Amino acid sequence: MATAPKEFRFGNFVGSLVWLIFWIIVIVSLVGLPLIFILLFYIPLPYSNGEVITPYLFLSMIVDPTRTVPIIKFLIHTDFFRAAIFPGFAYAALIAAATIFVERKFLAKMQLRTGPLYAGKIEGILQLMADGLKLISKEIIAPSGADKPIFWSTPIIFVATAAALTALIPVAPGWVVSDLDVGLLAIFAILGFFPLIALLFSWSSNSKYPFIGGLRALHQMIAFEIPFILSALSIVLLSASLNLTDIVEAQDSFWFFAIAPLSAFVFYISSLAELERVPFDLPEAESEIVAGWLTETSGMIYGLIQLGTYVKLYVLAALFVILFMGGWMGPQIFPQELIPGYSGEKIYNATVVNGIFWFTIKTFGIIMLILLPRGINPRIRIDILLHTGWYKLIVLSFINMFIVLAMIYGGILTPGGLQ
Amino acid sequence: MTNNYNESLESKLKETTKLGLDVVKESTEDRLMTLSVGPQHPGSGHFRFTIKVDGDYIVYCDPDPGYVHRGEEKMCEYRNYIQNIPHLERPVIHDSTNITYSYSLAVEELLGIEVPRRGQFIRAIASELNRLVYTLYWLAIYGIFLGHSTMFMWPAGDRELFIDLLAALTGARVTHAFNIPGGVRNDIPEGFKNKCLEYVNYFEKRLKAYEDIFYNNPLFRQRTENVGILLKEDAINLGVTGSVLRASGVAHDVRKVEPYDVYNEIDFKVQYMKTCDSFARAYVPFLDMRESCNIIRQLLDKMPESGEVRLKLQSNPKGRIGEAYKRVESGRGALSYYIVSDGSSKPYRVKISVGSFRNILALPHLLVGSRLGDMPSIYWALNYWPVEADR
Amino acid sequence: MRDINNDINESSSTDLNIVQSDLEIENSLYSKLSSKFNDKVQLIYTKPNRIKIYVKPEHIVEVAFFLKAKLGLDHAESVCGTDYPNENVIEVIYHLNSYANEELSHIIFALSTKTDRDSSYLPSLLPVFKSVEYHERETYEMLGVYFQGHPRNERFLLPEDWADIPPLKKDFRIKGR
Repeated sequence: MATAPKEFRFGNFVGSLVWLIFWIIVIVSLVGLPLIFILLFYIPLPYSNGEVITPYLFLSMIVDPTRTVPIIKFLIHTDFFRAAIFPGFAYAALIAAATIFVERKFLAKMQLRTGPLYAGKIEGILQLMADGLKLISKEIIAPSGADKPIFWSTPIIFVATAAALTALIPVAPGWVVSDLDVGLLAIFAILGFFPLIALLFSWSSNSKYPFIGGLRALHQMIAFEIPFILSALSIVLLSASLNLTDIVEAQDSFWFFAIAPLSAFVFYISSLAELERVPFDLPEAESEIVAGWLTETSGMIYGLIQLGTYVKLYVLAALFVILFMGGWMGPQIFPQELIPGYSGEKIYNATVVNGIFWFTIKTFGIIMLILLPRGINPRIRIDILLHTGWYKLIVLSFINMFIVLAMIYGGILTPGGLQ
Repeated sequence: MTNNYNESLESKLKETTKLGLDVVKESTEDRLMTLSVGPQHPGSGHFRFTIKVDGDYIVYCDPDPGYVHRGEEKMCEYRNYIQNIPHLERPVIHDSTNITYSYSLAVEELLGIEVPRRGQFIRAIASELNRLVYTLYWLAIYGIFLGHSTMFMWPAGDRELFIDLLAALTGARVTHAFNIPGGVRNDIPEGFKNKCLEYVNYFEKRLKAYEDIFYNNPLFRQRTENVGILLKEDAINLGVTGSVLRASGVAHDVRKVEPYDVYNEIDFKVQYMKTCDSFARAYVPFLDMRESCNIIRQLLDKMPESGEVRLKLQSNPKGRIGEAYKRVESGRGALSYYIVSDGSSKPYRVKISVGSFRNILALPHLLVGSRLGDMPSIYWALNYWPVEADR
Repeated sequence: MRDINNDINESSSTDLNIVQSDLEIENSLYSKLSSKFNDKVQLIYTKPNRIKIYVKPEHIVEVAFFLKAKLGLDHAESVCGTDYPNENVIEVIYHLNSYANEELSHIIFALSTKTDRDSSYLPSLLPVFKSVEYHERETYEMLGVYFQGHPRNERFLLPEDWADIPPLKKDFRIKGR
């Protein structure tokens, strides 16, 4: 409903400016200054040219931009940057946000409509920000008999578990937050938490429809974890290592997809089931059990769970790329030197940027493939789902494992490439 | 063996109570969970049915309509024959021509008048267009109930073409108030015939795409085949009508059995299937839509070039003393009106018998013994429109 | 006000736009009925595709059994109750039709019966036709006619807190009209 704007009064305008300045002063003095003090006194600062770089020195270096390069290089290699920003949470959250937007547009084009259009100047690009602001401003309603501690903490645990997964994904050579020797097993171990989280949330909601939804989520996720692990086993046989970086480097001559297409297919279907995406979105089946185990989410809790789901989507797509499609391997298309002749400190590393580029492209391709069934298929039924998961997928993944074993024993392949 | 079990159970119970522990025996009632698939449910419409679930199987179902009961039949007794049209078409807003068609036929019998021929053709064309509009909307909601969002968007988009046609013809997108006793309110506008033919031809090609993508989808078939079997004898005994009846092997269509207006001059076949499952109930409306396109083309061909479309009546026509019972094939099935007139300008009693109200009797029969996951595909395949059943 | 006692044995053909039939099938139905039940049934009218019979409440169940078993009318399209306060009766009409029998599928057979307005009891036709279950329940709540033998004579469409007389009775006036 449109309302007529109030008349412009200069006194009100000046008053609003003063109000704005007031709030800036309050926030800077109560929040900004303590942050600067923490930065100065608690965080170890880097050295450059024999001096400690304090923020004052940093500000004076704006005169000559090349003096900031060592600071940036130092920052990039800290653990905090890796865990929170680059291969870690912020990168995953950015890809997750882009995925949500791309999904809505992609599905809309398939369904003869336009999707988000009005938020932002170009084709609704700021829709996600608008949705986030809307969700923050909504009231979170907890049901009266709900188990309050579990109800409030489970969505946070959900996002935290999904973020923990991103710590294991290598994006470029040397760029992984934690380089475990049993990286693949660690991923499956963390994935095993999700059924528990779904069940906890649905139980604490104290309502019938979430209860049914939580049980369905439990059945579904547990049933599909086994084909998941079995299909990844063929890859472990081919690469002789559980370390994800080693798996990628074992694919430098050919992708493992060429040898294990059945396993790739089983992995793809199982990841659709783990993510509760159509056609496997029974736990949130809207027309049967309202919204399944997400019925009682409202406001920011819903926002957190969506974030967690799409971060998990990124993780599983990235895992598919790492296991079957060669991770970051690809022809080198970035030049060795950005500015030819520059001999100072460099933060640009051609192989790393190349790896990031190829990894992102491949992950996006797989994400589009995961988004595709939503426009094509209806929902499956629980008994057909369990039958598929327990019988057909396990058989398929075993078949592929035997093929791989045969090829290895036959001497055609060794772990690490063709004989 | 039962006796031994009971005896040992009794002794065990005595022991546990001696220890001061509580014994909670699980009775059959405790295993059941009562769910109210109520009006506040994305899968039910303005309608509630209570089900009791044992694990994944439904063991009890009780429909509870009446959320949008307005008292249509009582309201008819307070308005004269022409004034009744706008409120009588509200029960089904998309299919409004059909619900007023039957009323107009019954009133015309009571008034003793005959509609001019061109008016009869236009009435039939509007009725078929409304049938298409309603069936597309029903198909769209069926897709959503099964979780298929594309199956919602495509029919809803194609339906807009026919709604545009109807808006050009009658002036309103839904609830047209187009049929009145004596004919139709106005003649067709210029260019309507060509536009109608163009849209109908386009739509028939789209139906081919629907069949490939929606009906031949293996997941759709898995969800609906062999689900909710309604045998032919049960269908006849329960008195279901419309596409539900035709999906159980009975070739009964009111337009063929008791042709009204100009339907005895149109050549079309009654579409029915013999498999009696939910897939048949979803497929028969699709076949009906194809036949409707055929019928519209024939009607446009055979329509007389010029003529009156409405018989002018007095402003407050009085019906003869007597009663009339007329029926029409609407999107949901046979829609019949029983009107009793006492000689005044207002009807004495109007009884509307709608397809939805008759079909809902099959819901407890089909749901008991089926899975919870089959509930949407069984419920919506019964072609139940909640507002119409409540009147 | 309409007086239905004057409509006995009137066979009127109306000038409608449907094919004029010679009422052969309708008359043959009545003759089969009257040969079995003599004067327990009374013909009210026969029209093209329509026939109406009046039966007293005590005989209605056996007439209905005969119609289903011998004549082949297998379901009821609607059950309509009309309130006639002038004659102090409520008339309940069952409109029967046949799906299985092709010859009869265009005929609507109206089986009517009357009961007192003040204490309205009728035997339920549920043992004969399963399709009358919800219709009879609606007639009970709208007009107050109790169907003996029907398992649920309860409120169906009206709201749970309805505390007034049955609304389709002529005594019930819509507010403001």
